[in-house]
Amino acid sequence: MASLFRKKVERKKSLSRKEISLARLENFRKEVITDTHSVALGELCRRLQTDRETGLTPEQAAEILAKTGPNILTPSTRTPEIIKFIRTLIQGFSLLLWIGALLCFAAVVIRMITTHETDSDNLILGCVLVVVVVLTGCFMYFQEHKSQKIMESFANMVPPKAAVIRNGETMTIMSKDLVIGDLVELKFGDRIPADIRVIHSQGFKVDNSALTGESEPQFRGSECTSDNILETKNFTFFSTNAVEGTARGIVVACGDQTVMGRIAGLTARLQPNKTPIARELEHFMKIISVWACFLGVIFGAAALAMNYSWIEASLFLIGIIVANVPEGVFSQFLYQIHVLCLVGLLATVTVCLSVTAKKMAAKNCLVKNLEAVETLGSTSIICSDKTGTLTQNKMTVCHFWCDNAVIHADSTTNQEEAKNYTENESYNFAEKTSLFFKVAVLGFKILMRCATLCNRAEFIHGEEDKPINLRQVRGDASEEAILKFVELSKIEGSPSKFRHNNPKLLEIPFSSTTKYQISVHALENGRCLVVMKGAPERILARCTKIFINNETQELTDDLRRICDRACTELAEKGERVLGFCDLLLDESYTRNYQFCAEPPNFPRRELRFVGFMSLIDPPRPQVPDAVERCRTAGIRVVMVTGDHPITAKAIARQVGIIQAKESIDAFNINIIETLPAFKDKAIVIHGSTLRDMTNEELDNILYNYKEIVFARTSPTQKLQIVEGCQRLGEIVAVTGDGVNDAPALKRADIGIAMGISGSEVSQQSADMILLDDNFASIITGVEEGRKIFDNLKKSIAYTLASNVPEILPFLAFVLGNIPLPLGVMAILCIDLLTDMLPAISLAYEKAESDIMLRPPRNPKTDNLVTRKLYFLAYGHIGLIEAMCGFFIYFAIMAEHGFMPCQLFGLRQQWDSESVNDLRDYYGQEWSYQNRKELEYTCYTAFMISVVVTQWADLIVCKTRINSIVQQGMGNMILNISLVVETVVACMLSYLPQMNYLKFYPVMFRCWNYA
Amino acid sequence: MNFSNKKSFQKLPTFHFYQISAKIGLFYLIFYGMLAALVAICMWVFLQTLDPRIPKWQEDSSIIGSNPGLGFRPMPKNNEESTLIWLQGTNKINYLNWYDNIMEFLDKYYTPGKIEKGNAYVKTCTYTELPTETEVCEVDVKSWGECSRDQYFNYYRSSPCIFLKLNKIYGWTPDYYDDPNDLPPDMPKQLKEHIGNITRPEERRNIWVSCEGENPADVEYLGKIKFYPSIQGFPGYYFPFRNSEGYLSPLVAVRFLRPVSGIVINIECRAWAKNI
Repeated sequence: MASLFRKKVERKKSLSRKEISLARLENFRKEVITDTHSVALGELCRRLQTDRETGLTPEQAAEILAKTGPNILTPSTRTPEIIKFIRTLIQGFSLLLWIGALLCFAAVVIRMITTHETDSDNLILGCVLVVVVVLTGCFMYFQEHKSQKIMESFANMVPPKAAVIRNGETMTIMSKDLVIGDLVELKFGDRIPADIRVIHSQGFKVDNSALTGESEPQFRGSECTSDNILETKNFTFFSTNAVEGTARGIVVACGDQTVMGRIAGLTARLQPNKTPIARELEHFMKIISVWACFLGVIFGAAALAMNYSWIEASLFLIGIIVANVPEGVFSQFLYQIHVLCLVGLLATVTVCLSVTAKKMAAKNCLVKNLEAVETLGSTSIICSDKTGTLTQNKMTVCHFWCDNAVIHADSTTNQEEAKNYTENESYNFAEKTSLFFKVAVLGFKILMRCATLCNRAEFIHGEEDKPINLRQVRGDASEEAILKFVELSKIEGSPSKFRHNNPKLLEIPFSSTTKYQISVHALENGRCLVVMKGAPERILARCTKIFINNETQELTDDLRRICDRACTELAEKGERVLGFCDLLLDESYTRNYQFCAEPPNFPRRELRFVGFMSLIDPPRPQVPDAVERCRTAGIRVVMVTGDHPITAKAIARQVGIIQAKESIDAFNINIIETLPAFKDKAIVIHGSTLRDMTNEELDNILYNYKEIVFARTSPTQKLQIVEGCQRLGEIVAVTGDGVNDAPALKRADIGIAMGISGSEVSQQSADMILLDDNFASIITGVEEGRKIFDNLKKSIAYTLASNVPEILPFLAFVLGNIPLPLGVMAILCIDLLTDMLPAISLAYEKAESDIMLRPPRNPKTDNLVTRKLYFLAYGHIGLIEAMCGFFIYFAIMAEHGFMPCQLFGLRQQWDSESVNDLRDYYGQEWSYQNRKELEYTCYTAFMISVVVTQWADLIVCKTRINSIVQQGMGNMILNISLVVETVVACMLSYLPQMNYLKFYPVMFRCWNYA
Repeated sequence: MNFSNKKSFQKLPTFHFYQISAKIGLFYLIFYGMLAALVAICMWVFLQTLDPRIPKWQEDSSIIGSNPGLGFRPMPKNNEESTLIWLQGTNKINYLNWYDNIMEFLDKYYTPGKIEKGNAYVKTCTYTELPTETEVCEVDVKSWGECSRDQYFNYYRSSPCIFLKLNKIYGWTPDYYDDPNDLPPDMPKQLKEHIGNITRPEERRNIWVSCEGENPADVEYLGKIKFYPSIQGFPGYYFPFRNSEGYLSPLVAVRFLRPVSGIVINIECRAWAKNI
């Protein structure tokens, strides 16, 4: 009794587990709303019953741990593998095959019981079907057997240990034992073990790029700066990295409740959409199965009504009919033919996809999900992350301003141009500014000196022979950029040497309050130089002089304004501007002077301004071109980034995502509400705006604007955008590299992750990985995907065409009462032997000329199988093939004495074993055996005629828009398949084991006709 | 605010819909017309190559081969798969059924005028008077003796006659067993003796026929057998068949004198020539 009860309870639990999982998913979707970062610290401590000095007591911690569970990410519920396997075996299409196989076996069994004969045709067909089902089932199972690893990759991000303060003592515990309220010590190099509110910090910086997409490390202090938890400065996130400094904080969220935990949960639980190709195939299968069932039922019923009305339509008797009565058998075979055609198609699809996947792998695209290849082809929107995808995720100097001119520094990956800076006076860089610049070289030199000296970054030793931009640098991202720039320009020789020659006497590091950094150097000529770098407005405020036109001048208000304008100009481009100034100290300060930082004992005002440098995370070089090609191919590219709107917009302009002259900046919801629907304008939407938007408003924006940039978006918002696009019926590709992209990557029709810079999580969630991080590979992918779709279409047209000459003989047999022109085994041979290879070979067909010029297909109307295709395959080609077959059939019959008009209505006598003397036109009398031999000859001839006409069909189907002359016959596999097809057909007809007789004039005449 | 509605995403092809479908219909009409015409022309041209009298492929080059099958009458009609003749001599409906069945086949033998008259001249052939190209041999219904229609082929006496016939094959000439010393070993003894008893060598130019029970038990149940014409075979002068009008293939009537009633008897009949 007790055990019974327990069982019941368990079942109830397992039922509700699904609901829990669903509820969890919904919960994960919601934005994080919390006030743990904004409430007063004392209030927070009270709430968590912790102490800001001593932390929790071990007892408290144990209690909470028992209550809330460990600090880990809960994996989503898993279905047992065996159930999954069975599920793949009985999915829609397979079910159809099973029914077919069952019908066959039923026919065999019933025949066995009633007449004690073995029906070998049905037995073979049944076995073939079962083998096919199991094979495709296994294949599909292995295809789907990989989405498991997302959770594991998230788990890898959890640090194993954490330093906590409990009861005033610092101890190291397993991070899964961490609980809410724990006081945690953080230092540089650590991974953050939970969501933590910082209460003390010393120069603490975290790298949030995985979560928010910001390229630069962020300062973390104790004051709350924003209501939004993702923006505030006193919060560090689970699994991000600490890069500098130390801090202490209180754990406010653990495990699944953390921001990262939510992303993980969301990603793992999201069900990706069915790929378009899967939808297409489903659609096609639906049509075919309805067709097949319809034909089967109609002809079965017709047979019943015509001759066998005395048999009551009880199920059992229908079974007998299926097995014994020719019409029944053939109605069943009509069904089987269709099913067989699907088998061929499935094989073709698989081959198509794997061939392309292989080709893509050669182009550094790793395709994880085979079907994704085609999805890329039907993509109509690419939602691209900025950082690391469109850009290099590496700060680089892109402009500098000196001597009253903005000069563009080459920000391509190789920075070839930069080497030209080396040349001195005679140097000819930027002919546009030629004369002026010759004068300016001195100013440039001074700027470079300043940049070199006022820089703490250093190259890591032992990498001297590597290209400069690949060398590793110790230090801050922007300083790294400046160092590399200096190294490249080599204006003062190698920076390390230059620094060695001009040793640093004192340094005041950068701080977020002063926003500048100062160092004092002893120059080679014995004098001392103060160099300073920092936020441009602070720097300018300290300057009274400026180096311009090769001389030091007073910094007048006019000049100041010019500088300001230059600075804003650069800032508007989304670049981070740094100002540089220096001051040559007078001779009273010597090398031996004791410089002191606290308090500074040297002049720090009335400096000489030397210039700006602006830094940006530059776009990858191939991106603009790729975006342009997307446009011509009718694909919209939308930028979805976690970075700031200005930067996002600047990059969007650079890569061509925004081409419209005007753009609207929508930083809050009011702007959205008053927006007119200007389609030709670009729009930049801020994350906070997005938060206030309803789904409908989002849809409207996505529909009305062609050029859209989303900035400051949270991971959930990225997901929201993707879903919005999908609501509009678009096929969405998402490219991304960070953890914050993972949910969107998973949800998208195709997720594309970066192979080098991408996080493991993003790679696990994606369907495709760009191994070389080259955005342009996506274009190749699109091309390949479209090609697949085209080729599949061709392949289907080819396969469908041969259905007509397979079905019409049966129709003629049943309705016209002629002896059967085409046997079941011959059909099997056509479908599975001769037609298979050519159909597959179409997968190797090369793309047609317009493939990248037309817009992406409309998933609603441009189906894999359209009415047009049906008409072409069935109405034109199929019918011609059938006519050809019938011609051969009648010709052979006539040559042997059975004239066409005589054949109609002859079936009963023809198929009767007791009629041993059927008379032909010449009065000859045919015994049963002779007749059957003649019939088999006809089968063979019909089959050969189908094969021959299929050659022509293959060539017809080879091209869609191009003519065959344009396309050429370069597809060797197709040519080989033609030969193989013919050889197989010959083997079937002429090998002595085959019961078919040879007949030489058949091919000759058919040739002429076809 | 004037955001376009979602419904406008799908445009329906209502414009010119009927016009287009009419055009398509017309196209297919012409297309299929052309196709049918093409096939018809091809078929017609092809049929012109065939001779109306002489088959294109004969004997071995045709699938029919040069081995004619042996057929028999009456032919059971209600069950196509079986060759069982189920006879009740006392049941008039039953034997009349068989009688009608045979008569349907023998009609043209009894009234030769019924078959279309061609140029061929019907002649009574003997072993020495063979037909010429334009002549066909007469089949004498009287040679079947007691197996005549007047006696209902003896079905009512439960000693039924069946008629054996050889399938016609254009141009097939039998190769006779006309040497009593050179007969195949599996030929029934009765037939061997019969051949041995025929003294005139030209009369041995026959396709011999033998019938016997399939198993020893069947032989016993079957009892005695009598062949008409008494030559026990198809006389050679009927061959070869040249599709001449008025040609009737020769028949051999086999009479089972006293088969045991109430059981199924399997009978095997064979025609004997060197090339059968």
